Amino acid sequence: MSLEGKLALVTGGGRGIGKAIALKLASHGADVIVNFFRRRDAAQKTANEIEALGAKAEIIRANVGDPAKIDEMFDMIGNKFGRLDILISNAASGVGRPVMDLDIKAWEWTMNINARALLLCAQRAAKLMDGRGGKVVSISSLGSFLAWPTYAAVGVSKAALEALTRYLAIELAPQGICVNAVAASAVETEALKFYVKEGLVKDSYHVTPAGRMVIPEDVANVVAFLCSEEAFMIRGQTIIVDGGTSVGLLSLAGKEDNEHG
Amino acid sequence: MTVEDQIREIVARITHVDKSIITRESTFKGMKADSLDVVQALVAVEEAFEIEIPDEEAQKFKNFGDFVSFVEKQVAQKEKV
Repeated sequence: MSLEGKLALVTGGGRGIGKAIALKLASHGADVIVNFFRRRDAAQKTANEIEALGAKAEIIRANVGDPAKIDEMFDMIGNKFGRLDILISNAASGVGRPVMDLDIKAWEWTMNINARALLLCAQRAAKLMDGRGGKVVSISSLGSFLAWPTYAAVGVSKAALEALTRYLAIELAPQGICVNAVAASAVETEALKFYVKEGLVKDSYHVTPAGRMVIPEDVANVVAFLCSEEAFMIRGQTIIVDGGTSVGLLSLAGKEDNEHG
Repeated sequence: MTVEDQIREIVARITHVDKSIITRESTFKGMKADSLDVVQALVAVEEAFEIEIPDEEAQKFKNFGDFVSFVEKQVAQKEKV
């Protein structure tokens, strides 16, 4: 599997899952533009690590919740490189509140960063891929179809992102652009501390049939595959990376009952 | 307009508090700002002055005055460069 000569943009690529994806793509030969919002130091560190792998790296600041900033970012990419081969729509944020406490501001903040950003980035990216094809991978979460405490806004935004991924896959297929999503369960990152209460983390350890929590590299491995030519016939899918959590929940709960019975 | 006045306008817009009652002693809590208001204020100030406010620094702000002092220092440093 080679991504030699490809140019990738990873939104939110400075930390966590985005960083793992950026490094994985670089390890397969891609040059990477690392988008960040508030942590330049982390983005620069990621860029340095990409360069240590022998690939080229750029960092670019943009709040993907702001359409004008997305335009500025793609204007820069268009002017400097004139092309883009891979878009990873990874940047995410969210307000963790129960449904009854969600206000319009919290809802819009979450939807704009997590779902609308894919729309706007994909529209701009597709123009830079036109005539040459490309890959778009969005990063989702099991919260798109499961209900976790205080995760409603993010979960709904991820459901929208997955639906949009399907539409993009169909509508961009004639341009040779493959679009897919990767959905992970709770991933061991700094962000997890912010979004997930302690109880859920313990549960994730307990109910993962694979025996450990998902780590960023698990997600990055699948993303890299979806960016390869080997994945050409996979379109509009959401690939779940959860160590079996979503299919093994009930069996493990039963096992626990037996152990305690 | 001074740096302080610009920050006051941003904070007033986001928290829906009358800017005339925001003093250096005012706190986000006192303005009934939630965590998203705080993030939005930080982001808006970062973009207005083209500076960065690390979360670790922001967590040290006890009141509006601390916020202003930090931004003033960052702006002065940027102007030197």
